Amino acid sequence: MSQFSIRLLCFTFGLLLIACGQQKVPSGLVYCSEGNPETFNPQLVTSGTTIDATSHQIYSRLVDYDAQTGQIVPALASDWQMAADGLSYRFNLRSDVRFHHSPHFIPTRVFNADDVLFSFNRVIQENHPYHFVSRTGYPFFQSIGLDKLVRQIEKVNDYQVIFHLNHADASFLANLATDFAIIQSQEYANQLWKQKTPERIDSDAIGTGPYQLAKYVKNDHIRYRRHEFYWGPAPKTDVLVFDITPRSSRRLAKLITGDCDVSALPKAGELPVINEHAELRLEQQAGLNVAYWAFNTQKPPLDDVRVRRALSHAVDRQNILRAVYQDTAVEATGILPPASWAYQPNDSLSDYNPAKAEALLKEAGIKDLAIDLWAMPVARTYNPNALKTAELIQADLANIGVHVNIVSYDWSVFTQKLNQSDYDSVLIGWNADNSDPDNFFTPTLSCDSVISGSNRSKWCHPDFDQILRLATATMDRSERTELYQQAEAILAEDVPLISLAHAKRLALKRTDVTETRVTPFGGISFADLKPMKVLR
Amino acid sequence: MGKYLLRRLNLFVATSLVLAGVLFYTTGLFPVDRITALSGIVSPSPAQVEQVTELYALNKNTPLQFSAFLQQRLSGDLGISITSQQSVSQELMARLPATLELANVAALLALVFGVPIGILASLTQHRLTQHAIMAMTLTGYSIPVFWLGLTLSLWFGVHLGWLPISGQINLLYEIEPVTGFILFDTWVSDSEYRMAAFLDALQHMILPSITLAVLPFTVVVRITRSAMLNIMNQTFIRAAEARGLSTAKIVLRHALPNALIPVLKHLGIMLGPFASYSIIVEVIFSWPGVGSWLVSGIYQRDYTVIQGGILVVALLIMLSSILIEIVHTATNPISRKELYASN
Repeated sequence: MSQFSIRLLCFTFGLLLIACGQQKVPSGLVYCSEGNPETFNPQLVTSGTTIDATSHQIYSRLVDYDAQTGQIVPALASDWQMAADGLSYRFNLRSDVRFHHSPHFIPTRVFNADDVLFSFNRVIQENHPYHFVSRTGYPFFQSIGLDKLVRQIEKVNDYQVIFHLNHADASFLANLATDFAIIQSQEYANQLWKQKTPERIDSDAIGTGPYQLAKYVKNDHIRYRRHEFYWGPAPKTDVLVFDITPRSSRRLAKLITGDCDVSALPKAGELPVINEHAELRLEQQAGLNVAYWAFNTQKPPLDDVRVRRALSHAVDRQNILRAVYQDTAVEATGILPPASWAYQPNDSLSDYNPAKAEALLKEAGIKDLAIDLWAMPVARTYNPNALKTAELIQADLANIGVHVNIVSYDWSVFTQKLNQSDYDSVLIGWNADNSDPDNFFTPTLSCDSVISGSNRSKWCHPDFDQILRLATATMDRSERTELYQQAEAILAEDVPLISLAHAKRLALKRTDVTETRVTPFGGISFADLKPMKVLR
Repeated sequence: MGKYLLRRLNLFVATSLVLAGVLFYTTGLFPVDRITALSGIVSPSPAQVEQVTELYALNKNTPLQFSAFLQQRLSGDLGISITSQQSVSQELMARLPATLELANVAALLALVFGVPIGILASLTQHRLTQHAIMAMTLTGYSIPVFWLGLTLSLWFGVHLGWLPISGQINLLYEIEPVTGFILFDTWVSDSEYRMAAFLDALQHMILPSITLAVLPFTVVVRITRSAMLNIMNQTFIRAAEARGLSTAKIVLRHALPNALIPVLKHLGIMLGPFASYSIIVEVIFSWPGVGSWLVSGIYQRDYTVIQGGILVVALLIMLSSILIEIVHTATNPISRKELYASN
């Protein structure tokens, strides 16, 4: 009897297993992302995780980048003209763009100039009712000084606006094409204002992008549904899901078992696994990013340029490239990556020379130096493993008698503490938001960015700022290249930071997903992606 | 019987009070402001400070504070999560069904497979079978659960690619949570992919439930076996044999009900380790239950989540172990006798 019942059980269980063989899945795409977005409005952040989850899915911009050519192409603005003096830009807007419908908001009109005015005035006007709805400010726009650049935005008619600038700026259009310069709905904002819940504009997002936000479960997933009335080519899948999976190994496992179709930020050490699995493919592209070690130049002894130079001679970059990036990066010779048009090979950067480093330290009269080194706990595009990098630097500096203390917290706590605290140095980096070289300098090293907090070196150099201003005031590429090389020379001389590497952008995907777009800069976009599988 | 139930209830209340006392004491030990540790509000406004002080009687003496604390917690107010700023009790309620579902499926697996195999081990005269079963259970009993979980997911998930190894269901299926029990929800959902979603959920269930079931399974086998061996030597079994009853009837009617009593008792004892195993399994398989939620709360120093998680897990263990004891007493003639004998 008992044997019989066991057989029966085994049989039913086996039957269930067999039944699991083939099944139909709904049309959709699952992306394994690395973390929770902080908000659903990219204007308020600079973090790549949030950009990925919002900018190209929910929203559209006035102008866009063509991912292949890097040229600026029309988006919500069908065309534009720049005035001869470079002081005003006239945009003609599309008249067929519709905002998302949601249970809380049913748009009664199409997109028009009022929405453009709302989206930008919110950022640049301090007396705008929505300006302080954001508690975090608008870090990208503040670091490039958009409020000082734009004098006024004029509505000519419903489908034409003019941006009046205070001074000519060659990177202006490029900045409008960044992931941050998205367009929100003024009608939605007015409705929320009446309901006294203005903060919902950034959490229950309404945009004009290819997908609309359906559901967000923190630490678990974000679900998007196709925007039926999207103005561009219709997105290829009905459903897009971001499966929030902080651990890289787990993302890889989910990709292998087919729970994900595309996965973010693989660790370099995991790449060999891909060769063992025929169904996985690695997409890579030279990235517009830089990983660097920033010194707090306002705090002794790092305010002494000799100390900073000494440290720059003591770090073996080749070793870091080998151990941390495992050939998925190129060595940095300055802050601009080779993929940028203003890049020129440059050997002015310090070589690895511990003896020289020791001599410089002795010259500065520093003995028994001990510094804190903050390292990010999570993988970023520009540095897949900051903790390991920190350990390598620690070992290098021990050779010249400098003691390094590595500091790390959970990511959200880390950024919070970094903004408040009086650190010595930090391993961090910058991922470009557009292809303009200015994006590597102004947001991270200008005097304005010291105030907005994105200048991790707290370094303010008037000559350097002057060069950046000159470089954006002209449209001539060769002249700009020349100026950016001068800026690089100042950086090499004054060493507010040590550039380490420019990483390739990597994404893992299953081969049954059609061509993805891994762009060299900015956030990921899923509008063109289509999984081919129906049966699994 | 009524008196007995009252005593058990009394025990439950007393233990809960001790638990609440410990939790109350620890709120003062967290390296954050007391107000934040109690309510979860990170940088409270003066109005919020006043409100929380009022609610938790923070300006009064300790016993009054404790009673205010009890009142809040008993009314279901566990504060808000420090990281997500959402109600802890709501987050908890959203996650509890997943945990209960996994635990129940695992317990069911352990019983359904464990009891017959235990009987088989006790009845068989075949030494090889006996030894095989004993060796198997001893191995199962000694395997650390984290290793087992990782090995199973490596083999069946990564190498063979047969089974999914994380989460409850492929996220493409949009299932409205009715009860939170994913198997039930997919079964009753009106989506066109209902059957596929159900099977997908079932597939996701296989590895975590097997991993979690291994320990109770081995215990059930061993206890059933020893209890059966014991009972089969009793005189009433020999009497039944003498009356010419079939072996099946003897085992099912006369021996098994008696043998299950110690199994039940051991299940009650095992609840504590079972709960900690279930936390580990949830973390390994990214199961969206209370365990993984509690662990991520610990990583993020989310003190309100930690308190809420501990409170609920401990209460659940206490409640179920007392329930098991009551069932044990009610079904066991020997201990039922104790009920009436004294006090």
